[in-house]
Amino acid sequence: MSSTPLDKIRNIGITAHIDAGKTTTTERILYYTGVSHRIGEVHDGNTTTDYMDQERERGITITSAAVTCEWKDYRINIIDTPGHIDFNIEVNRSLRVLDGAIFIIEGVAGVQPQSETNWRLADRYNVPRVIFINKLDRTGADFYRAFDTLKEKLDIVALPLQLPIGIEDKFIGVVDLVEMKAIVWEGGELGAKFHDEPIPADMLEKAKEHRQTLLDTALAVDDAGMEEYFEKGDVSVETLKRAIKTGTITGAFRPVLCGTAFKNKGVQPLLDAVLDYLPSPIDVPGIKVAVEEGEEEGDHQRRIKADPSAPFAGLAFKIINDKYGTLTFVRVYAGTLKSGDTVMNTTKGEKERIGRMFQMHADKRAEIKEVIAGDIAAFVGLKDTGTGDTLAAAEDPVVLERMAFPVPVIDISVEPKTKDSVEKMTLALQKLAGEDPSLRLKTDQETGQTILSGMGELHLEIIIDRLKREYGVEANIGAPQVAYRETIARSHTETYTHKKQSGGSGQYAEVKIIFEPLERNQGVVFENKVVGGSVPKEYIPAVEKGIRVQADTGVLAGFQTVDFKYTLVDGKYHDVDSSALAFEIAAKACFREGMKKANPIILEPIMDVEITTPQDHVGDVVGDLNRRRGMIQNQESAGSTVTVRALVPLKEMFGYISHLRSMTKGRASFTMQFHHYEPVPRNIADEIMAKSA
Amino acid sequence: MRLRWARGRGTIETMTGPRASEWLGLDDAGNPIARVIHLDGPMHTERGVFRAVALDAEQKLIRLLPLPPNDGDWLAVIGGRVVGRAAAPLAAVRRVEAAL
Ligand SMILES: Nc1nc2c(ncn2[C@@H]2O[C@H](COP(=O)(O)OP(=O)(O)OP(=O)(O)O)[C@@H](O)[C@H]2O)c(=O)[nH]1
Ligand SMILES: [Mg+2]
Repeated sequence: MSSTPLDKIRNIGITAHIDAGKTTTTERILYYTGVSHRIGEVHDGNTTTDYMDQERERGITITSAAVTCEWKDYRINIIDTPGHIDFNIEVNRSLRVLDGAIFIIEGVAGVQPQSETNWRLADRYNVPRVIFINKLDRTGADFYRAFDTLKEKLDIVALPLQLPIGIEDKFIGVVDLVEMKAIVWEGGELGAKFHDEPIPADMLEKAKEHRQTLLDTALAVDDAGMEEYFEKGDVSVETLKRAIKTGTITGAFRPVLCGTAFKNKGVQPLLDAVLDYLPSPIDVPGIKVAVEEGEEEGDHQRRIKADPSAPFAGLAFKIINDKYGTLTFVRVYAGTLKSGDTVMNTTKGEKERIGRMFQMHADKRAEIKEVIAGDIAAFVGLKDTGTGDTLAAAEDPVVLERMAFPVPVIDISVEPKTKDSVEKMTLALQKLAGEDPSLRLKTDQETGQTILSGMGELHLEIIIDRLKREYGVEANIGAPQVAYRETIARSHTETYTHKKQSGGSGQYAEVKIIFEPLERNQGVVFENKVVGGSVPKEYIPAVEKGIRVQADTGVLAGFQTVDFKYTLVDGKYHDVDSSALAFEIAAKACFREGMKKANPIILEPIMDVEITTPQDHVGDVVGDLNRRRGMIQNQESAGSTVTVRALVPLKEMFGYISHLRSMTKGRASFTMQFHHYEPVPRNIADEIMAKSA
Repeated sequence: MRLRWARGRGTIETMTGPRASEWLGLDDAGNPIARVIHLDGPMHTERGVFRAVALDAEQKLIRLLPLPPNDGDWLAVIGGRVVGRAAAPLAAVRRVEAAL
C-alpha cells in the first residue's frame, strides 16, 4: 500500500456545520471504495468513524477519525471532523495537517454559523476546498438558494460543476457541466450503480449558461486553455480539469458539487473531484517553518517540500491514549522514517525514539515499517511529544509553524466519589488533557479542588463520561462556571525584596518589574532589560517561572491573568544567599503586590449566538436576549423563520436551551461560539469577587 | 463578429506564475483591432484612488478608472474605446465581439 506514488495521495478532511452529513458522507465513501461491506447509519449507531460509545449514543462526532481508502488506484487519507463547536479543536488540527478539504453545506439551510467558522479556519491554513451541497432529497432543499448563501456568507467565487436533476424526493442525479452529460443513480445497490445519460432537454439551456460561466472563470487561470478555446471554440475535458485544479488550489474560485449522501446519490463524482481537483502533497507549496521570535511572518518564511529523500520533518497533531498506550498521529512533511529511528522533538529540544508505526483505519490499524513524506501515520511510544510539536531529523532541526488552539471558556470543579481515587483521577485527567489541547486542568490554590476548563457544557460532560467509562473513575462535578480572566488597565512598576535569614544560608533576591497592559489576545509577554548583571543570567528563568505560575491565580478573584507585559528592569542579588528559588519567590510576590496597583480588572467571555426561531416568537426571543445583556447584531428572515444574531456574555447563557425551548414551544434552536473577552460591568465584578473571597 | 485572439504583451503575477494580462483581437488580415486588458491598480493620486489601464500598445495613453463600482477587472476595448468590463477575460472577449 505504501508504494502509492506521491502524486496519487490525497490527504483530505471533511468539515461542516453540525449535522450537515459529514459522517454519513464518509460512510458512503468507505463503502464505495470497498473499505466497508455495508453502510452504517448515524442514527443506528454503527458507522465506522463515529466509533466511541458517546458518539454512537448521541449521533454526533466528537473526535476526528483518520481513515484510509483507495479510489481508482489513488490513496485517500480522510479525516471526518465534528461539527459541534465544543469540539472545534478537532477541525482546527485536522485542517492544519491536511492538503485539502470537502466542505459540506446543507441543501435546506445553506451556509450555517459553524460552516462559516470552519471556512475561516481553512482560510487561515490556506486549505484548498471543494464544496458539496448535501441533503438535496430533503423537503425544502434548494440547490440555488444554498448556492447563493456561499457568496453571501463566505464572500467567495463559488463555481458550480454540477446542477441537480429534480429536487426533494424527485432528485435523481446531476448534470455534469465539465463533461456536459447527466449522471443518474439507479435505485438499489445502495447507490453503487449509476449511468450516464444525455442532459434532459428542459435543462439544456440552463446547463449551457452555467458551462459558459465555468469556462469563463476556470480559463481565466489558464492561458494555454484560453488559446485552446480561441482555436477550437471549446476545450477538452482534460484542459478544463487542469484549469479547475489550478483555480481550486490557488483559491481563485471554489468548485461546487451536490447530492444526497443519505440517499446515496452524488458521492462517487465527489470522490472523482477529490482526485481531479484537490492537491497531492507535491502540489502544495509546503509547510512553513516557524519564524524566530520578533521576526515578521510572510512570504520569506522557509517552506518544507514533500521530498522523501530530504531530512525528516513531521508535525504531531493528535494524541490518543488507549489500551495499547499512547498513539501520536504525525503528518510527515519531508523525509522517510523507519521504526527504530531516532529524531528530535525540536519544539521541546529532546530526543525521541520511534517505536512501532501504524496506518489507521478508524479503530483498526495496520503496522507499517516506514512512512514517507506526504503521508500520515500513528506512532507508539513517544515519551514527551505533545499536540503541535515538531519532530525533525537532527541534521536539519526545523520547527514547523505551531497550531492555534481555541480558548476554553467554561470551568467545572471535579472530585472523585471516593477519596482514595484522587490520584487515579488526576492521572486520568492529565491523560485526557494531553489528548485535547482545548481542555485545561488546574488546581484551585485555595480550596485544593481540581478545576477543568473546556469549550462548553457538552465538551466537559463528555470528558466526565470518558473518565468513568475509560478510566473507571466516578466523579462529582460542580456547576459549570464561566472561565473569567483577569488583566490590568494601567502600568505600574514594583520593586520587591525577598529576604530570609534562618541560621545557615539565607535567601536573598530583589526584582524590579514594570507591569503593562496589552491589547486583548496578546497573552503574556516577557522582556528582560537588566543591564550590568544586577540579576545574574542564570536567575532570569526563575523570575519568568515565578510570574508564569503566579499569573494562573489572579490578584482579584484567582482567575488566570492574561494580556499583560512584564519587563524585568533591575534587581539585586547576594553572592551566597541568592538562588533560583529565592528569585522565583521574589517574582511571585512582586506580581501579587504589583498587579494590585496596576488597576486589575476581570474579563468575561462574550459569545456569538445565533438563534433560529419562527416569526411569531421573535419578539420574545429578542426581549429575552436584552435581559441577558445581549447586543443584537443582525436579524434576517427566510420564509417564516427568523435568524437572530447577538453577542451575549457566556454567564447569561447557562441553561439557555431549555428556556428557549419553553419560550418557543420547542420550535427554536441556537448555536453559540466564543467571540471575545470583555471587561465585566462593575456590579458583576463585585459579585464574582464576593464569591471567590 | 468573431475575431482571432492572441496573447498580448504584459503579464500579471499570480500564485502559479505569470499570466497574460492582455489578449489582442485580430481581424482576418492579422491586424489588432481590439483588446481585452487586465486592470492594474489601485493607483493612488491626489484626486483619489484609481485603477489604471493603458489604452494603446505603447502604454502612452493611460486611462484612470474610479475604483468602485467594480464590475470586473477585465476591460473590453475597441480602438481605444472602452465597450465593457467583465470579471473574466473570456467574458470580456464576448463583450468585444458583441460590440463589433
Ligand atoms: N435527508 C437526508 N438526511 C441526511 C443526509 N445526510 C445526512 N443526513 C442525516 O443527517 C443527520 C446528521 O448526519 P451526520 O452524518 O451525523 O452529520 P455530521 O455532519 O457528521 O454531524 P456531526 O458530526 O455531529 O457534526 C443524520 O441523521 C443523517 O442520517 C442527506 O443527504 N439527506
Ligand atoms: Mg459526524
